[in-house]
Amino acid sequence: MAYFEIHNKFVVSFGRLEWSIISVSVILTMIGIALIYSATASLGVHDKTFVVKQIAWFSLGIVMLTALLIVDYRIFEKYSFWIYLGIIVALIVVWSIGRVTAGSRRWIDLGLMRFQPSEFAKVAVVLALSRLLGEKFGSAPIELSDLIKPFGIIILPVALVLVQPDLGTAIVIFLIGVSVVLFAGPSKRVVAWLFAAGISVMVWTYFFSGKLLLDYQKKRIATFLNPDYDPLGSGYHIIQSQIAIGSGGLTGQGFLQGAQNQLMFLPVKHTDFIFTILAEEFGFIGCLIVLGLFAAYLFRGLSIAHKARDGFGSLATFGCISIIFWHVTINVGMVMGLLPVVGVPLNFLSYGGSSLLASFTITALVANVSMRRFNYYS
Amino acid sequence: MSEYIRSYDKTHNSRLQILIASAIVIMTFSILISKLWRLQLIEGEYFSEMSYSNRTRLLRLAPPRGSITDCNGKILAQNQPNFSLSVFPGELREPEKLIEIAPSILGISPERMRIMLLNAANSPKYKMFQLKRNLSIEEVSLLKSNLGDTKGVVIEAKPYRQYPYRESLCHVLGTLGEISSEELMKSERFVYKPGDLVGKTGIEKDYESYLKGEEGWNQIEIDAKGRQIGTTNKILPQKGADIMLTLDIDLQKYVEQVFVERAGSVVALDPETGRVLALVSKPDFDLNLFSPSISERNWKNLNSDPLHPLENRAIRGLYAPGSTFKMVTAMAGLSYGVIRPETTFDCAGELEVSNQTYRCWKQRGHGKVSLHKALVESCDVYFYELGLSLGADRIAKYASLFGFGTASGIELSNELPGLVPNSAWKQRRYGSPIKDGDSVTMSIGQGYLLSTPIQMAAMMAAVANNGKVMKPYLIHKIVSADGRALFENQPVQKWDTSFDYKHIQLLQKALKDVVEDKSGTGRKSFIPGLRVHAKTGTSQVITEKDRITEMDQVPYHERTHAMFVAYVNDRPKKIALSVIVEHGGGGGAVAAPIARKILCKYYDIPESPQ
Repeated sequence: MAYFEIHNKFVVSFGRLEWSIISVSVILTMIGIALIYSATASLGVHDKTFVVKQIAWFSLGIVMLTALLIVDYRIFEKYSFWIYLGIIVALIVVWSIGRVTAGSRRWIDLGLMRFQPSEFAKVAVVLALSRLLGEKFGSAPIELSDLIKPFGIIILPVALVLVQPDLGTAIVIFLIGVSVVLFAGPSKRVVAWLFAAGISVMVWTYFFSGKLLLDYQKKRIATFLNPDYDPLGSGYHIIQSQIAIGSGGLTGQGFLQGAQNQLMFLPVKHTDFIFTILAEEFGFIGCLIVLGLFAAYLFRGLSIAHKARDGFGSLATFGCISIIFWHVTINVGMVMGLLPVVGVPLNFLSYGGSSLLASFTITALVANVSMRRFNYYS
Repeated sequence: MSEYIRSYDKTHNSRLQILIASAIVIMTFSILISKLWRLQLIEGEYFSEMSYSNRTRLLRLAPPRGSITDCNGKILAQNQPNFSLSVFPGELREPEKLIEIAPSILGISPERMRIMLLNAANSPKYKMFQLKRNLSIEEVSLLKSNLGDTKGVVIEAKPYRQYPYRESLCHVLGTLGEISSEELMKSERFVYKPGDLVGKTGIEKDYESYLKGEEGWNQIEIDAKGRQIGTTNKILPQKGADIMLTLDIDLQKYVEQVFVERAGSVVALDPETGRVLALVSKPDFDLNLFSPSISERNWKNLNSDPLHPLENRAIRGLYAPGSTFKMVTAMAGLSYGVIRPETTFDCAGELEVSNQTYRCWKQRGHGKVSLHKALVESCDVYFYELGLSLGADRIAKYASLFGFGTASGIELSNELPGLVPNSAWKQRRYGSPIKDGDSVTMSIGQGYLLSTPIQMAAMMAAVANNGKVMKPYLIHKIVSADGRALFENQPVQKWDTSFDYKHIQLLQKALKDVVEDKSGTGRKSFIPGLRVHAKTGTSQVITEKDRITEMDQVPYHERTHAMFVAYVNDRPKKIALSVIVEHGGGGGAVAAPIARKILCKYYDIPESPQ
């Protein structure tokens, strides 16, 4: 029996290793490293620090992926609230550190304290929500009374991220939470309520945004509505990135040959604006390949969510997939001028340790659910 | 088995949601791809055009860095323009013209110029390549008139840092240097650029965010030949904030001048507020060596100097406080009731504790000694006896009350806390309990005790202030370029030692007699008409060194450190100071005269021979 269990746990599970999701993740990360190399080559000839660091994070990501695949994903269900609690504490710590620094440096830049537990907060929210809603998933529709705790789970990190202030991440966490709730099978009444709440929030924000948003956030929204409004300030990013994307054409200008990339200095081009470099140097075809890889990832993820062995697995997979979906949509939409500029990274491609590790955590969770969909224990 | 069925049942109920989600993904990706299609394939030509011809270029205007001044507004660090000649390798169409004209102006050979341009041609096309910096005004005007409109040639004005007082206050002001790739990554959102100068040490580093200012942008239009035809848009850079220090540079300079010994430190504080009046660390170095960048040779010299001139000894030099520490032991003894003011011990010139002989500096011994006499004549045996009855932990507690063992809290980031040993520490560090011998050496400020000059000055300030411990500070205020005070420092009381007032008075009287009594060890700091309180100290570097050897026969690094701490608190202008002369010999003989000169200058008393 014991032998059978061990056999079932490891040999059979790894026999069903989720290669498609993992290989898409690895390919995207490698493309990302090439793009970071190109983006930072113009910063200084001998400066390979960014690339070296990203490769180091990549290696760590692979190690973490392997580690997270060995254990059954039900362990994440068991500890989901503790993981959530840990992330909340980390967010509070970051916030209080940020507050102290802002006290003495308020006038320089508020962005400095955008430190990264927020990347993992997205995953933690998904885990906690899946645990809460997984019980009822598939057996009965979610009623309003079931949504009190999930609401708290979502709103706490949103508030903590918002005060950082990091509008982009706050929006993404909110959207992810709503996605999971909608996937969990709400009753028609709940759907109607959510819809009404969404509308009223939008109206409310429209009228009170003057008080809620910081100056630079208002500026970014104004810029989004009219890029020429401040061509040297925040509009500059959008105009330059549109020129970069547009000049890529069908096949791009070639690796390391993008004039916009090499010439213009976008401070975040290796992080949030990495897609512009892809578009400029590899053109429409390059973009199609990358978006195609993301689409493959998302559809494969949806199929895993569909086939998962239990409610938690299904919800967690869907939640993870929704993180990727919202990131890709907001990030790519932003660099093309479809959406306002908010700080949202492009999974696997953007430079940054926490973003990359969080992406691999997502891959690990989804692959884990897929691998163990036939394992049942009594 | 029922579990199996139940689990299996649960899975196939999400079909509707999956379908909707797939539809949303397809829809969103279609929107993204169609926008991409429009940007790249329909409008692609237009954008390529924008990218290549009729280019507007965005030039970054570096912000002028804020100045650092003393309390009277005298400039200690400021910006000066520095001109350099650079090229854009990708745009340089007539290198021959440059090789023909520039060498004669710059005074270099045409071959050298050709080599530099070859190097430039091999570097990234769109990055500025610097050919020569530190151009004189004549060179700039000649280059401008001869090469001004040559495509790809840029004459750039970049500010560099100038320090009018050269080596004065060098450790406090600190240096600038080119931003490292690590700093560049960390400060991504501050929009630094490679090649930017940032503070590397001292105030330049710790107050970088205030001094830096905000960059401006100049959007210029360039015609087909690469000439600037106009400025379309300009955001002026904003100058960084100015920082005003609490120090008076004249006093600071004077202190630096009278400190002629090789190495050591002087710290002077205003005991009432904690304002820093002077902060000297010797040896020092000329800050201008670092501006705009230090040459390899100078850096090597500074770095390999055995006296470590780059180190700020005032906050990082660790010394055993020696006999200056006796006032801590005395206050601990009085407060714990181990001794009373009239308690006496017999000094026979030495004391034996656990089979080891501890000597008094006076070999003949002091005879019958009271606390007053023990402080005035710095009798060691009295404090050995006192330390023995107190024990190390009780001395340690009072040392902490005087501020030893923790950083003083001055606004410089790399201050060292020093060390106050107690039994817990000894157990942790050496795995053995604290012994009587440790208490004995600790009572006279030797053994494991380590303190910085600023801690010793702060101790003296606390005594002068009747036990109130103030936080030392040296930033007076920070003023933005438009004149707003961004920050103004207020005196902060760290804590009140709440010593018995009678005990403090007793200590203060003894410290006065250190200077005024004819048997006092601090006679050399006596100034007629000024009531100086002081304590001498001589801190051993090598334990159990034979004291009979003459000073000049002892190798420099084995000589004792000379210490002297003093204060004046009965004048409107108060001062507390510490003087440490590394390997200087005796505190009373070497350090006291330096303190005397400083006090004379501070109180405007003509210096007469004693």
